[in-house]
Amino acid sequence: MTTETAALREKVSPRRRRFFSRQDKITLGFFIGIPTFLHLALVWLPAIGTILLSFTYWTGIRVEDIKFAGVANYENIFFNTPIFWDALRVNVVWILWFFFIATPLGVLLAYQIDREIRGHKFYQSAYFLPVVLSLAVTGIIWNFLLRPDGFVNGLLGLPISEAVSFFGDDRYNIWVIMIMASWRHIGYIMLLYLAGLKAIDASLREAATIDGATEWQTFRKVVFPAMRPVNIIVIVITIIESLRAFDMVYIIYGGRGGLPILGVLVFENIAGEGASMKGAAYAVILFVLSIVPIITYLQQQFREDVS
Amino acid sequence: MLNKISNHEVDRRLVLKGAAAGGLGIAGATMLAGCAGSTGPISFGARTVDESPTIQLKGLVDAYVAKTGNEVTYNATESNAFQNNLSQYLQGTPDDCFQWMAGYRMQFFAAQGLLVDISDVWDEIGDQYNESYKIASTGLDGKQYFVPQSWYPWGLHFRKSMMAEIGMNPEDIYNWDDFMSALGELKAQGLIGLASADKGGWEAMGTFDILNARINGYQFHVDLLGGREKWTDDRVKEVFRHWEMLLPYMNTNVLDLEWDGAMQLLLQRQSGFFFNGSWFGGNFLEQSQEDYDDLWIVPFPEINPDHARDTIDAPIDGFCVAKNGANNDGGKDLIKFAGDMEGVQAMLDTGIPMTSANNGQDRSSYDAFQTQQLAVMNEAKYITQFLDRDTRPDFAGPVVGPALQSWFKDPSSTDEILESLQSQWDALPPL
Repeated sequence: MTTETAALREKVSPRRRRFFSRQDKITLGFFIGIPTFLHLALVWLPAIGTILLSFTYWTGIRVEDIKFAGVANYENIFFNTPIFWDALRVNVVWILWFFFIATPLGVLLAYQIDREIRGHKFYQSAYFLPVVLSLAVTGIIWNFLLRPDGFVNGLLGLPISEAVSFFGDDRYNIWVIMIMASWRHIGYIMLLYLAGLKAIDASLREAATIDGATEWQTFRKVVFPAMRPVNIIVIVITIIESLRAFDMVYIIYGGRGGLPILGVLVFENIAGEGASMKGAAYAVILFVLSIVPIITYLQQQFREDVS
Repeated sequence: MLNKISNHEVDRRLVLKGAAAGGLGIAGATMLAGCAGSTGPISFGARTVDESPTIQLKGLVDAYVAKTGNEVTYNATESNAFQNNLSQYLQGTPDDCFQWMAGYRMQFFAAQGLLVDISDVWDEIGDQYNESYKIASTGLDGKQYFVPQSWYPWGLHFRKSMMAEIGMNPEDIYNWDDFMSALGELKAQGLIGLASADKGGWEAMGTFDILNARINGYQFHVDLLGGREKWTDDRVKEVFRHWEMLLPYMNTNVLDLEWDGAMQLLLQRQSGFFFNGSWFGGNFLEQSQEDYDDLWIVPFPEINPDHARDTIDAPIDGFCVAKNGANNDGGKDLIKFAGDMEGVQAMLDTGIPMTSANNGQDRSSYDAFQTQQLAVMNEAKYITQFLDRDTRPDFAGPVVGPALQSWFKDPSSTDEILESLQSQWDALPPL
């Protein structure tokens, strides 16, 4: 089907005449030019600036103090800074958790709600509620619940010295943070997926039911492939959300250690008195980590589309 | 953290109210004083949103406004946020004068040309201060950039009533063995010996400072922080070996508590000692006069007789003038007032305990706890600021902070951590 239409389009397009008046050109120029300019000035210039600065020594104050450092900042991070590897490990756990637990849960919930199980309106609102809160607010709420003098420890009647160390104990603080992050992420994915599911032609499902497909088969063979555009968005969002994690952890731990993640390391090294371009190098590493899988994935997806 | 944020909001409201009231006051004062004001409006940046210091600083600003008729805006920022933002703040449109710290932290920004040389202010008020304060206020170029407000010692704090109940006299704790047996006794009573915190990543630096100074002496400590000695030195390992001996007597959730959490342990009588800067006396006073009167401090015990108890961390807080501020002269005028006994008196009159750096503060007016702080301070021959004020900022916060935290997670990894500290020091960009 796709090849036919493409062929058809090719036949038609040369014959279609494109004519833009002078005024059209000016208007279009403005419409395309202004956003492009803003995008370049506000996104790409700073990004390129950061990449360049990551190869320098600089305290971020006087421009004339910038000194070329070669790859020293990267060398420092990779070979001398154990906290980088700790942070990377946490970010990887974060991605895996989101991929295999939070995101599938969101999809499952969306599917259930779309099937209009009893009370689905209530569930829908309940799961969606955390999404309207920013991650920073999420952090504040959970911190209030779980800190040593917080609600949960108070409920358990534990004094500060014996309080359950939700955020301090290395054995489980990462899982506490994962649950906190999922609390919001699940609702977000559910919402995206639900919107997609609503757009699926009901006749597809009916046809599958008539052919005697089970619920699982219908989902896997019919619904899931039909949801491809949404799936791509969900995957990209999952990667981005796990790598850009910052606000919640920063609210709970402040700029320092505790549970190191790359986002906080960027901040810790580029802001404040300790500013150095090691922070810029961290930012570039984070940028590469986020952009490479996304570009590879999208390229592969679009290539499949074309063929 | 939540505390701070909610405080912040409360405080913003306070500030608004204060601003409204201050506005009226200013209008009144200007009318009364006529054209006494020599400079335009001045803005003052406070690096605290806590209750007591805010009252104190407002007292200062109000007295200045009443005296000169100049208009002053009071802007408050939570201290961690203020610190993290300082570079950007000073390069942008900072307040004319702001609260800051002496030592390396001030010298660094002075060297970057972001602070105003206030040597002329020192010419006027300098005779009210000891030489050591002038040195602490001096930049690397020999000019002054800082006016001291107050100091506080780091020492072992405890509640007198608690110790009396147990029948222990901490004033008798002179050396390490005394201290260890006291901790053992507290543990036997079911108490935490030494309340500790390090969630903020800086609290434990105070313990490192004092252990290093006690075991290896002032000179080694200063040289280590200046990069002239190695972190991999056996003498540094000795510091951690002693620290490890303290671990069984500390609360187990060190990494879950910020300094104020550890303070709560003392306040709630769950721990015998709390090693910290005495500034938290204000927090005890917020609780009640009784709690404040119960608070006491002794120097950290001697470990190595060669160095006895000759060193103490006693950070100095104070004020600077920002070069990029709109009104440099106004800023200078305000901090001159703050450094002069008249301004100091205005802060003291608020009733918030303060050990001023100014010689004019009548030491006989000190309350018992302050007198004791002075005694602790006077026992020391050498004064250090604090680890994150005595070494490079790109080393203290991002490197030493997490290193100490990971040591708490696994104290057996001392060697690796010290090796990593040294290699991270070596990898720092040249200054």
